[in-house]
Amino acid sequence: MEKYTLIITEKPSAAQRIAQALDQKGKPTKVEEKNVPYFLAKRDKPLVVVSALGHLYTVVHVGKGRNYYPVFNFKWAPRYLAEKSAGQSRLWIEVVSKLADNAEEFIDACDYDIEGSLIGYCLLRYACENKQDVAKRMRFSTLTKKELEKAYSEPLPKLDFGLIEAGRTRHEVDWLYGINISRALTLAAKRWSGKYATLSSGRVQGPTLKFLVDREKSIRSFVPTPYWSIGATVDIEGTTYEAEYEKTTLKRRADAEAVVKTCKGKAGKIETIEKNRTQQKPPIPFDLGALQTEAYSLFRYTPRKTSSIAERLYLGALISYPRTSSQKLPSVIDYKAILKGLSKERAYKRLASELLKVDELKPREGAKEDPAHPAVYPTGNLPERSLSNPEKRIWDLVARRFMAVFGEPAVKQSIKATLNVNEHRFHLRGRRVLKEGWMEFYKPYVRTEEVLLPPLKEGEIIQLKKVLCEDKFTKPLPRYNPSSLLRKMEEDGIGTKATRADTIETLYNRKYIAEERMVVTDLGFDIIDVLHRYCPGVISVELTRELEEKMERIQTGSEEREKVLFEAVEGLKPMLEELKQSEAVIGEVLSNAIKRSRIHERLVGECPTCHTGKLMVLYSRKTRKRFIGCTNYFKHLCQTSFPLPQRGTVKPLHKPCKGCGWPTLIVKTKGRRPWTLCFNEDCPKKEERRKRLEMQMLQQRGKK
Amino acid sequence: MRCKCCSREARNEYCELHKKAYASVVQKFEIWKHAADVSWEQYLNEIVKNPFTGAWAKEVAERLLKDKE
Repeated sequence: MEKYTLIITEKPSAAQRIAQALDQKGKPTKVEEKNVPYFLAKRDKPLVVVSALGHLYTVVHVGKGRNYYPVFNFKWAPRYLAEKSAGQSRLWIEVVSKLADNAEEFIDACDYDIEGSLIGYCLLRYACENKQDVAKRMRFSTLTKKELEKAYSEPLPKLDFGLIEAGRTRHEVDWLYGINISRALTLAAKRWSGKYATLSSGRVQGPTLKFLVDREKSIRSFVPTPYWSIGATVDIEGTTYEAEYEKTTLKRRADAEAVVKTCKGKAGKIETIEKNRTQQKPPIPFDLGALQTEAYSLFRYTPRKTSSIAERLYLGALISYPRTSSQKLPSVIDYKAILKGLSKERAYKRLASELLKVDELKPREGAKEDPAHPAVYPTGNLPERSLSNPEKRIWDLVARRFMAVFGEPAVKQSIKATLNVNEHRFHLRGRRVLKEGWMEFYKPYVRTEEVLLPPLKEGEIIQLKKVLCEDKFTKPLPRYNPSSLLRKMEEDGIGTKATRADTIETLYNRKYIAEERMVVTDLGFDIIDVLHRYCPGVISVELTRELEEKMERIQTGSEEREKVLFEAVEGLKPMLEELKQSEAVIGEVLSNAIKRSRIHERLVGECPTCHTGKLMVLYSRKTRKRFIGCTNYFKHLCQTSFPLPQRGTVKPLHKPCKGCGWPTLIVKTKGRRPWTLCFNEDCPKKEERRKRLEMQMLQQRGKK
Repeated sequence: MRCKCCSREARNEYCELHKKAYASVVQKFEIWKHAADVSWEQYLNEIVKNPFTGAWAKEVAERLLKDKE
């Protein structure tokens, strides 16, 4: 077989796109071996484009057994050796190894960031037998034909070893922390209770959970402070307008009541009218965090969902590489070419054409930079396949934001008329947009509310229609949601843009937190309590940030990998010693928390018969079937029980039924939509449904 | 010793978590007294009813009311 150049990509869809872009005819041949696809293309020489499947190699423990710690010996090995679910990676590695045998040149075309560089490096080193030093590197930010061709013809002469070393160290340090702390917690609980439950914590998980616990503590200990506000309305030519009292809060009820008493039923004179013009600058381009935040606030997409949609759009060559922390759009991306591309889409035609008329386009940019990629931007390509609704939304958001950053500032006008009523001042406020500027491009996503006031004159007398004293209370800080937690992690330098969303997901999976507005469970509290007492370093933001900084220094070559690893191990040793010495106490605390959490998961609500017991999902020892029963059953006080569907999973919803107020459950069965179950046989909703069905039956019979 | 409000271990009357809530309940009374001229008992009743009061603070207030009975 003729010798060829082997190009390695990160994912199969990227391999296909790169092969298409580089093949002379744009039609590479797809080959499948052991279910692993790769592509044969022809250019100046034969090319074989094969992909990884994310990380095919991982850090594993050198040694046997799982029931001990500390463990500090590790090596890099194929993922299938460490994870049962990664069986596919064996075939992938075999195929890449075979293709490497006949290759004369190697090019790493994985995503240009820490993870991508590490994926390519591992394949070149382990599967291709030490080709990491001879391989070249393709660097690109979009999967468009033009950029891929350029990246292929002008590759970097060698891999970016700074990125690779930083990536390797990050994985190794995370592994050292993760495996040791997680084993310490899991084994402590197991040795105490004899039951296994996966507990985990680590260098990023610990501080993240600590944020949530601190917030939860402040919410649960919160006592509101009362204050009062004066609400007023005025009547101008038959229309009612809201007026604000000069002091937005009054700290004593008596003071608020006195204001109402003085102003009720009175008229006031307009003393002053102030008009203000303000300019609102265009928004800055999206980095991944900002895109995730915006998508959450507009569409309620979790950061992980946004990240995976953006990844699909990138693989479809619709947007640039999304895992970026840059807020800059360099001119080399060719703004006008992108706008020309976008103008072919009907929705953007007018907007893009308007920008194309401008001689020199200059985007508004943020301060953050990323040496590897620019901010997220549309490539100007149009979808080749029909996009799903979430994909359409994210693409639209990226496209409109891209256009908006080139827009002119928006001009807004605000008016404040001050009304004097018995020496008490009330303000009438109006606001409107005078010039839309960038808002025109970003319209569906701009949140602006206009309040128009009628023409007013100084000295004009206006009658107060209503004056009320409103009881108000200060509120606790809001609970974190996936988006605000991600932002907090970003601000505090915890984790990386690639891993933050997964860390949040792990906290849910471990049952340390629940619900969208994150509520910390008892288990979450106890984990942090244990870590705080016995190894506070693991939950310390400072330690994590310090490590992140060291990793950045490795990237730039000013810090040695071995030194960072040595320090990590030395730092871990005393913590693990402390955990081991207190294993029995920790085991008891965690086992009780796990037990409570498992009971809580099965609690349905109050028993409607005895009102003292709690309804729970129980299992019959005899029949092994599940049902709902009262906790007082075991005390022979209440025999209430209800049947449950035996297929699928049932979970208490902790929401009352809309028909009867009884507790409800959610039932999830394979191939069916999840449905809400009210187990009250006399629920009026069920009765309604029964009657509706009967009517339908009767109607059908009548027709027959 | 067990916490008066939950089953957690406690050095005195309250566990570490409820101790913080107790401090918050006591600390806020002066503000309430000045703002709305309420007695200690009225204050506790008010915060038990209030939807913004945190769960632990509510448990502490309920416990304090019960102790008074």
